[in-house]
Amino acid sequence: MKVKEIMSKQVKSLSPDMSAREAFDVLSEMEISGLPVIDKEGKLVGMFTEKDVLSHILPSYIQKVGKFIYEQNPKSTKKKIEGLSDITVSKLMRKEVVVVDEDTTLCEVARTMLTQQARRVPVVDKQGHVIGIVARCDILKAMAKE
Amino acid sequence: MLKKFIILVAISLGLGFLSRHVGLNFNQSTAISIFSVSVLGTLFFWDFRLGFVFLGTSVLLMTRTTNIENVIKFASLDVILFLVGMMVLVGLLKEAGFFAWIVQLILRIRNMTAVKFVVIISVISALLSTMTSEVVSIIFMVAAVFEICDYFEVDAVPYLIISILATNIGSAATVLGNPIGILIATKAGLTFEDFIIKAFPLAAVCLFASIFLLVIWYRKTNAELDKHIKELGANEMLIKLISIPPDKELKISLAIFGATLFCISLHHRLELLWNLEPNTILLMMPLLSSGAVMIWKWRRAREYVEKDVEWWTLLFFMLLFAQAGTLKYTGATDVLAQKLAGLAGNSVSVLIGIILWISTIGSSILDNVVLVAAFIPVIQSFQNMNFDLQPLWWALLFGGCLGGNITLVGSTANIVALGILEKEKNIRMTFFRWFGVGLSVGILTTVIVWIALVFLPFYH
Repeated sequence: MKVKEIMSKQVKSLSPDMSAREAFDVLSEMEISGLPVIDKEGKLVGMFTEKDVLSHILPSYIQKVGKFIYEQNPKSTKKKIEGLSDITVSKLMRKEVVVVDEDTTLCEVARTMLTQQARRVPVVDKQGHVIGIVARCDILKAMAKE
Repeated sequence: MLKKFIILVAISLGLGFLSRHVGLNFNQSTAISIFSVSVLGTLFFWDFRLGFVFLGTSVLLMTRTTNIENVIKFASLDVILFLVGMMVLVGLLKEAGFFAWIVQLILRIRNMTAVKFVVIISVISALLSTMTSEVVSIIFMVAAVFEICDYFEVDAVPYLIISILATNIGSAATVLGNPIGILIATKAGLTFEDFIIKAFPLAAVCLFASIFLLVIWYRKTNAELDKHIKELGANEMLIKLISIPPDKELKISLAIFGATLFCISLHHRLELLWNLEPNTILLMMPLLSSGAVMIWKWRRAREYVEKDVEWWTLLFFMLLFAQAGTLKYTGATDVLAQKLAGLAGNSVSVLIGIILWISTIGSSILDNVVLVAAFIPVIQSFQNMNFDLQPLWWALLFGGCLGGNITLVGSTANIVALGILEKEKNIRMTFFRWFGVGLSVGILTTVIVWIALVFLPFYH
């Protein structure tokens, strides 16, 4: 089975120029962890996820310090959450995105998701335009049916 | 990028031809030329440095300038294994929350004043760096400085600079503070005790002189902090936000680390007691402790080795040491040593000054490990000329550490801390904002060391 048979063709996306706050609200409303970022020409330019927001608002040294030392949110985190409205999606998004084309097999997409730790993978045409998106649950459902 | 590459090739070839011109043989000139590619590679193409030393070492082997036996001999596996062991231990300490615990201890300072803050972050930065290395130490100090400055709503940059300067000074105090410490200790036959008796007090004098200078230098910032402390009512609220009681795992980790430091500090005595070769315990202790850690935490052992050990840097060191060893093997450093001795008029005092200032200025631009690796065989060559080597080793150690304070790219600690500053506060440090205070502290501390090494018989 090919990915074009199961992908969602209605792709909800974000604009690189919208604010990170707006984008985060969209994710919250849709109860989804991430969305592709598409420019005015319809080309994929990045992926914006909750993880990107989280790594922005937490101090960058926190992984190296080992443990979090606060019982409450520190001032810097509060400030960064407030500052999300002033930052564009393009500043926080991940620019290196794992993509597949519509003729990729389900097994290959599943392998890509597993090795690249991607929850959802955009499907693009040869010009880099997004023509669909496939999530881990879509793959599992299709595999179970087969 | 192409321009830098052309400059690199031109300088390296130029040095090679120049060496031939002044009478060095083909192998000596090739060794100098290839080593200069590695040195310039770290300067111009930091991210490509490992590629440069791989290529350079291959050329040295292909041209028969060195051989496989010498590459292995000079790669200083003892130093590399010591660093691997320490990195695994630091990984354990990090996971157990040791550094978070240290940070919260700093944040819990009661009755805070600006000067008290400067003194405490300087002393703790220096002490932490003497125990865990400058790069590890600075990350936790940055965390503490940012939290305090965020809480009191003052500019964090001056306090970050103070912490970095103190970290670099502290890194000269023990064998553990900087990779060049263990490198010099193994090559010079110096013990941890030698460092504690001779390097530690000198580093302490440099630190307190620098604190004095920095309190004056940043008096306006300190006045601002004092004002905010009065407005916000000391740091009682901050204290309430944080509390990390040491748990069982942290206590065990602290015990392992403490025992390691204890045995390292007594390594010379233990080696004499058990009739072991010099530095056996010093090099063995991190391996013993990290081995115990890997058995205790066997599920995480692979992660400690794969993630906490900086293999990229260690491989670079190994091949760089091998290339520096080739300078010695070909006799190129003997020629250089003779020229330097001639320049110094065969006076140790002048030679101390030359080595101290060259290593200080050199390490303000270059990675200090590169510089020290190049200098070690030169100093070893002075032994044949009946020079007293002790003060020369200390000059090299202090020059390599203190020079890092002069420019913002002078040491790895500077680069790491300023990288976090840019990411966290969106502040890009300018060359001159750093240079004024860095140069002042750099000159002050180097002059102190210069005077001590030349005039105190204790160092001879």
